[in-house]
Amino acid sequence: MSDEELLRIEGLCTRFFTENGQVNAVENLDLTIDEGEVMGIVGESGSGKSVTALSLIDLVESPGRITDGRIWFRAPDIADELIESGADDEVTDGDFVDLRKLSEEQRRSLRGSRFSTIFQDPMSSFNPSITVGEQIAEAVEVQRRARANPRSLDAKAQRYGLGDYVLSTVLPSKKYVTGASRDRAVELLELVGIPDPVERADEYPHEYSGGMLQRAMIAQALAGEPEVLVADEPTTALDVTIQAQILDLLSKLQAETGMTILLITHNLGVIARMCDRVGVMYAGEIVERGTLEDVFDHPVHPYTRGLLGSVPDLEGAGGRLQPIPGNVPSLLDHEMPDRCYFADRCPKAMDECLEHPPAFDVEGSEYHTTKCYLATTEYTEEKALPDGYFDEAGRAADVGEEPSETETGIGTGTDSETETETEADSVQSDGGEPR
Amino acid sequence: MISDRIRRSVRSELHSSRLAQVGLALVVVIVLMATLAPFIVPHHPEAQQVGTGDTEDRTNLPPIGFSTEHIQTTPDGQTEIVREGSLEHPMGTNTRGQDVFSRFVYGARVSLLVGLLGAGIATVLGVPYGLAAGYFGGRTDDALMRGADVMLAFPSLVLAIALVGVFRDSGFHTTGLPDPFVYAARHDILGWVIPRSDHVASMPSSVTFPVTVTLVVALVNWVWFARVARGEAISIRQQEYVKAAKSIGASHLTILRQHVLPNSLTPIIVLATIQVAAIILLESALSYLGFSGTTLTWGQDIARGQSDQRSQWWIATMPGLGIVFAVIGVNLIGDWLRDALDPSIEGEGGV
Amino acid sequence: MGLGKFLVKRTLQGLFVIWGVVTVVFLLRHLTPGNPVNTLLPPEASQEQRELFAERLGLNDPVHIQYYDYLVGVAQGDFGVSMATGRPASELILIRLPATIELAVAATVVAVVIAIPLGVISARRRHEPSDYGATIFSLVGISTPNFWLGVMLIIFVAVQFGPLPTGGRGPSFVDAMIATLTQGQFRDGGIVEWGRYILLPAITLGTYFTALLTRLTRSGMVDEIGKAYVKATRAKGLPETLVLYKHVLRNTLIPIITVLGLQLGTLIGGAVITEEVFAWPGLGRFLIHSIYQRDWVLIQGTIIVIGVGFVIVNIVVDALYVYLNPKVDLE
Ligand SMILES: Nc1ncnc2c1ncn2[C@@H]1O[C@H](COP(=O)(O)OP(=O)(O)OP(=O)(O)O)[C@@H](O)[C@H]1O
Ligand code: SF4
Ligand SMILES: [Mg+2]
Repeated sequence: MSDEELLRIEGLCTRFFTENGQVNAVENLDLTIDEGEVMGIVGESGSGKSVTALSLIDLVESPGRITDGRIWFRAPDIADELIESGADDEVTDGDFVDLRKLSEEQRRSLRGSRFSTIFQDPMSSFNPSITVGEQIAEAVEVQRRARANPRSLDAKAQRYGLGDYVLSTVLPSKKYVTGASRDRAVELLELVGIPDPVERADEYPHEYSGGMLQRAMIAQALAGEPEVLVADEPTTALDVTIQAQILDLLSKLQAETGMTILLITHNLGVIARMCDRVGVMYAGEIVERGTLEDVFDHPVHPYTRGLLGSVPDLEGAGGRLQPIPGNVPSLLDHEMPDRCYFADRCPKAMDECLEHPPAFDVEGSEYHTTKCYLATTEYTEEKALPDGYFDEAGRAADVGEEPSETETGIGTGTDSETETETEADSVQSDGGEPR
Repeated sequence: MISDRIRRSVRSELHSSRLAQVGLALVVVIVLMATLAPFIVPHHPEAQQVGTGDTEDRTNLPPIGFSTEHIQTTPDGQTEIVREGSLEHPMGTNTRGQDVFSRFVYGARVSLLVGLLGAGIATVLGVPYGLAAGYFGGRTDDALMRGADVMLAFPSLVLAIALVGVFRDSGFHTTGLPDPFVYAARHDILGWVIPRSDHVASMPSSVTFPVTVTLVVALVNWVWFARVARGEAISIRQQEYVKAAKSIGASHLTILRQHVLPNSLTPIIVLATIQVAAIILLESALSYLGFSGTTLTWGQDIARGQSDQRSQWWIATMPGLGIVFAVIGVNLIGDWLRDALDPSIEGEGGV
Repeated sequence: MGLGKFLVKRTLQGLFVIWGVVTVVFLLRHLTPGNPVNTLLPPEASQEQRELFAERLGLNDPVHIQYYDYLVGVAQGDFGVSMATGRPASELILIRLPATIELAVAATVVAVVIAIPLGVISARRRHEPSDYGATIFSLVGISTPNFWLGVMLIIFVAVQFGPLPTGGRGPSFVDAMIATLTQGQFRDGGIVEWGRYILLPAITLGTYFTALLTRLTRSGMVDEIGKAYVKATRAKGLPETLVLYKHVLRNTLIPIITVLGLQLGTLIGGAVITEEVFAWPGLGRFLIHSIYQRDWVLIQGTIIVIGVGFVIVNIVVDALYVYLNPKVDLE
């Protein structure tokens, strides 16, 4: 860990504009990642982890859009080039560039070369009708072509004309990928521990097992020697034993290459095992972040505590998130109240919490911050919101005007047992692509 | 057989889909037009108005809103004759002075009748065949479907042409279907209840219906029904309720009738709808080629319009529009039913 | 099972189908009401002449002998002798085959060249005006009878604009290419003249397929683009066009090919009627005129040749499908 900042996300907002309304999937998210560290993000299903990852690599798809925020990425070469071409300090900040200000083509050129991604389900993340080796070779090739012409960010020396595209739909793309890239693909397969890589390279995804394919995806992610590896639940779809192997592989590769990893998971055990620092996500925000020690040993946010409290054995396979009572929050804009998003599930909700908490520094550690008033105030019985404050009636009023405590609070105070238990765990095994 | 859920989804799809509404409107208009033809048309569809000295020549009149001009050479020199379309012949007249609109309206009758009857017969032939093949499986399936494959291995229009060529010389090539409205209008007593009975009574008393064409289009299209029915039967065969019925000793026929058929109805209904459109197209092609034995059809009128003078564009254009609207309407209804009932059905075998 | 073995199997199946077609065609003639002798000979022919004629056509043999003779003949490429002209049917049929192939290929090219980009654009810009345009185009295209479209093109295009003929065929494609390449001749007998003649028929025949293919490409692309691997492929940094064509479109084509294979019959049927509309001297027009003349030998021969062509193209389509789709189970 070289302690030098590589990525600084400020106030990132990503929204989906759906038929039912605006979904605030990522809301005002701040995060910094140092070079060479493993940063973990953990949170319930639907908390916006995948969308955060996609925002980083600019692959949020319609109807979604990044609406606000900055993603500062340290890339001295790009910064120089931009300054040369007359970019202002909106776009660059010392060695940092704001990725959101780059052109689409420039952002694309960062994929694979600076940012690589591993997705949750390897089976569906490979094209079923092209051999694995070929797909990895493509990833090598695109970087090779980029390097062949390093001066220009956007014209990546693609020299691949329309005719080639047309042919490539029918012929299995003999043209785009060169022999050298193919050889490199085989090397990469070997590197991630695939036996008989030469033969294996010519097989199709359906001929691989899940674990093998996840290794192949890691190989593919390494093709461009990226600075940042975004791993979105890389082990969720795999058996427990294979999970451990994949994590070992990632650790080993990280140690060898010194790359930075953003590891997204449901699994606190994985976090504990892999990460240097961790951010806990809830309803599109990072509600608490800090070093592993900060978050695991001195959690402040009741949500973090809830997560940790329900995990008996962090190292074991049981390190998955346990249910926390209450509803998974709606991310629809018109249903998101202006208060702590966790308040309706929070056992310590207080008067202050009716106002949205900013990020507070937690004393005793440099990195430790949380979006919870408990960081500054002591919880006392008098300040507590009455039971059932956020039940049906309260909620409805809540969305409109700021309710006065006495009005709704007492009236609905008796039926607090109506809250349903939602299992974060049961939702986590889906594809991570809620629609 | 048709549950509330299905009815609801059909209705809600109709509400949400503009295209489904358009399709329904088109089909309703065309069906009304075909049924009530004698009331609608301004002229007898076959009546010719060729100028013969004392009667006025009313051939090649343009549709309303258009005009034609041509130079006529008379002993006194040349005069330019300009003719304007009029409400009397809203779609103009053809080279024999027949009213194109009246023919357009009557043409819908044959197309719809052949489309509906042809699809109906194909369903009756294909569905039991396919259900049997799929339900019994194994050898039976192999034997039955091999035969069907030979049928499929044949371009349907080519097959239809060949078959019509064969049966063209038979005695039942066409038959006259009496028009009840016209009979009623001519009847002494019933004539009173028929509006415009004089006009209706002057209309053709029967429609020439192409029997062989109907049989042939059914013969070349039943295989699609067999395929779909077979696929359904194969999947239903494995359902628990069928196994249960078998275990309590229900006969094959009972199972087929009570379980397999009702549960495979949705895709069959969708297919039948799409097939109506396909058959309308096939019929029009056959009558265009002159194989259908009828003269009052859209296809036949297009053929005439093509061989007649080409400056009279409306003669061939109007009946073609009839076909296009009818087929679009039926196809849209097919899409609507498919989207409402079972979006997984492919449009296979359609159009 | 390898591709070779698969092809052998399909070829055997194809032979079976062709045998079925020959049989059906043979039976058709025997189902025909009316004695062929009567339809062919003038009414004043004497009884003796009639018997002689029947004898010559082999009509007096028992049916199974006739069937056997016919099968053997067909296997040797002998379809009999035209009843009307007395010339060998195979010869008459084969000289018309190239025109039909040319037309079918041209129509397919028209369809593929227009439909695939249209479908891709439509899928990329879903719910934009270009998408609605493409959707309406494909609806109308699928619902338009091609003979009427041909007639409309003749009336509104060919008659109005001189350079496009209202019917007939120019030089064959091969001849036109030779003339253009060797003598630099474009107009007379060259590729331009070829194009003038084939343009409208190819559009007429191709429209239905363009419409169908646009529809299939659009819906297939929409499905395919939503799949997870597309995102993963983009994440590798591949250029968008490569993602679309090499990955998405290729996978979209796999199911489309099956549907198109099933629609081949429509293409051939459409060719028959398009030829009639444009007086295109191919097999279809020949078939129709043989039916008008009740020349059974020619009708049978033409249908068999069409059937064989259909079987061959089907095998090619299957092979293409297998080639594009590594997951296909060849059993
Ligand atoms: N394509 C989309 N359209 C509409 N909303 C979306 C889309 N993708 C994501 N969302 C919304 O964004 C929110 C966050 O989704 P995200 O996939 O980031 O969750 P996650 O934390 O990764 O969950 P999981 O653990 O299930 O993968 C979800 O509530 C979802 O409603
Ligand atoms: S801010 Fe208040 S409601 Fe929110 S988590 Fe902290 S204590 Fe609970
Ligand atoms: Mg996810």
